[in-house]
Amino acid sequence: MNRVTLRKTIVACAVLTAALLLAIVLMSLLGSEPLPVRASLCALASFGTSTCGLTQDQFDILFQIRLPRILLAAAVGGSLATAGAGYQALLRNPLAEPYLLGISNGAAVGTMIALVFFTTIEWTRPILAFSGALAATLAVYRLARGRAGATPERLILAGVIVTTFLSSVIVFVTVMMDATRIRSFTFWLLGDLSGTSKALLPATIVIAIAGALALTLHARSLNLLMLGERDAFDLGVEVGRVRIVVFLVASLLVGSSVAASGSVGYVGLVVPHLARLSLGSDNRITIPAAALGGALFVIVADTVARTIIAPRELPVGAITALIGAPLFIYLLRRA
Amino acid sequence: MLYYGRSVRICRNHCVSAFVWVAVVVCLSLFSACTPGRSANVGASREITDDAGRRVSIPAKVDRVVSLAPNLTEIIFAVGAGNRLVGRTSYCDYPPEAKAIAEVGDTLHPSLEHIIALKPQVVFVSTSSQLEVFTQQLNGQNIAVFVTDPQDLEGVFRSIEKIGEIVGEKDGANLLVQKLRQRTNAVEQAVKQKPPVRVFYQVSGEPLYTAGHDSFVTDLMRRAGAASVTADVPGAWPKYSNESALAARPEAIILPTGGSMGAANANVAEALRQSPAVLQGRVYKINDDHLARPGPRSVDGLEEMARALHPDAFAR
Repeated sequence: MNRVTLRKTIVACAVLTAALLLAIVLMSLLGSEPLPVRASLCALASFGTSTCGLTQDQFDILFQIRLPRILLAAAVGGSLATAGAGYQALLRNPLAEPYLLGISNGAAVGTMIALVFFTTIEWTRPILAFSGALAATLAVYRLARGRAGATPERLILAGVIVTTFLSSVIVFVTVMMDATRIRSFTFWLLGDLSGTSKALLPATIVIAIAGALALTLHARSLNLLMLGERDAFDLGVEVGRVRIVVFLVASLLVGSSVAASGSVGYVGLVVPHLARLSLGSDNRITIPAAALGGALFVIVADTVARTIIAPRELPVGAITALIGAPLFIYLLRRA
Repeated sequence: MLYYGRSVRICRNHCVSAFVWVAVVVCLSLFSACTPGRSANVGASREITDDAGRRVSIPAKVDRVVSLAPNLTEIIFAVGAGNRLVGRTSYCDYPPEAKAIAEVGDTLHPSLEHIIALKPQVVFVSTSSQLEVFTQQLNGQNIAVFVTDPQDLEGVFRSIEKIGEIVGEKDGANLLVQKLRQRTNAVEQAVKQKPPVRVFYQVSGEPLYTAGHDSFVTDLMRRAGAASVTADVPGAWPKYSNESALAARPEAIILPTGGSMGAANANVAEALRQSPAVLQGRVYKINDDHLARPGPRSVDGLEEMARALHPDAFAR
């Protein structure tokens, strides 16, 4: 990595990390229940070791409900944006996105199977979600690869096919399920962070960070791959290995975030694109920037979702789609 | 046999009268053979306003009806018209006799073909199953669609009375409502002097759903001597903020579970695990079928809630 790129990467990541930390603090001051600002900041600064005069309830709201949810939002956003950036680089397609390619739906079907057959065993959810995401990824990739290679149109078409097919599987299972569970399920399918599972939170965060690092380490190969697979191969990139790594890592990222929060759409599209617009198309910068930016984006979107009609709540996926869908149309027109 | 023949004739005449309303010209040319005098007399249908505010034209005598919600099935049986119910949903499991009746799908996905094939005169729906297209198609088949959407216990009583009137069991329905009112009054008298208990009603724990302002359960809780902490939240079944639930510090939690709900919703939501209700052991599981189905058994639910919340008011 030359010095200019390195410096640019460090500056971008430092700025985004600062913004992310600021967002975590500021957004944890917002919620359906007002908390005293100064005492909350004091308690946050002490990492929960001091209550700073907060009542037990206020302290619990801050540390048991808001903060875990914000951290989950960060992990989910980071995971989805990283996965999106990875797919876009590997498939040389700016429209590749976990949700639009049906990969989120693959993970959702996996999670559903876990919820239906292993109701009480929580760790089966991320594992089956990962398997579902991987299967959907491979299906889309196979469908998209024609004799002429994978054109953007072919890829999106393959994504539509896989998405709609899996959607009908989801609808089928939903109809078979008993009525009382349908409502919570439809909410979950739209992406919902309110059911933050304490058991899955640490794993989701670790996977998000590890996944972002793994893809950043392959960023140079991905840069070369953007020239075309043949050229990349000639320049010494182990194309097959890189492809497998990116598919596995991205599927793991999508699987863990869907298992934790359902399908939050458009994050993997909006965020990497904004990163490329502002920082250029060097994956060594855009992948870490997308990871941090995705975390930031979903934290803010979820804060809107949980406060705008408080004490009622919206699913966060509705907010991200509200921002993402118009942007997607804009990108499609430009492409 | 005679009975059956008469019903067919009434139906045919009713069809004629409906056509008169819809397309006078077509009717005159097609059905000129019909004796106009008789159709004006026997085909006379009644108009009853349903909970959607529609004036529904109901044949004078009704002996084939379909129910698209479990509470409606319960009402139809309770007023003594179970023998006229020819179709029900897969959720309709009470009274046990109901299970012998033909299924027409579930409340959200009823099969139109099934319903039409059963040749009902009236289809009863709750608003959740109410679909514009669905209604139009059934009306096209000369099947009346009657909507019930009780917002409170009074609304439930009105539903019972109207359904009784439609199926020709007005006396049975009035008697039933009278009995239910007596039991309701007894509960209200018993808890009248008691300070209301601040209650959180947990529809589901993850994600957290509760009963809001428009839910008839909120009215039921008020009558049972409870003050729902979510009584002013807009909507009937809103998704609720975890932190607001925690901050509400409910004194008691009602978990509608069991019944057709099975083992679902048997645990208090994580945000409420440290609430006064849990710490004082005031978490009450009540049969979901008594609370989620606005029908005759709602008064059972009312009594169960009141007894759980104010045990000393009922001590003998």
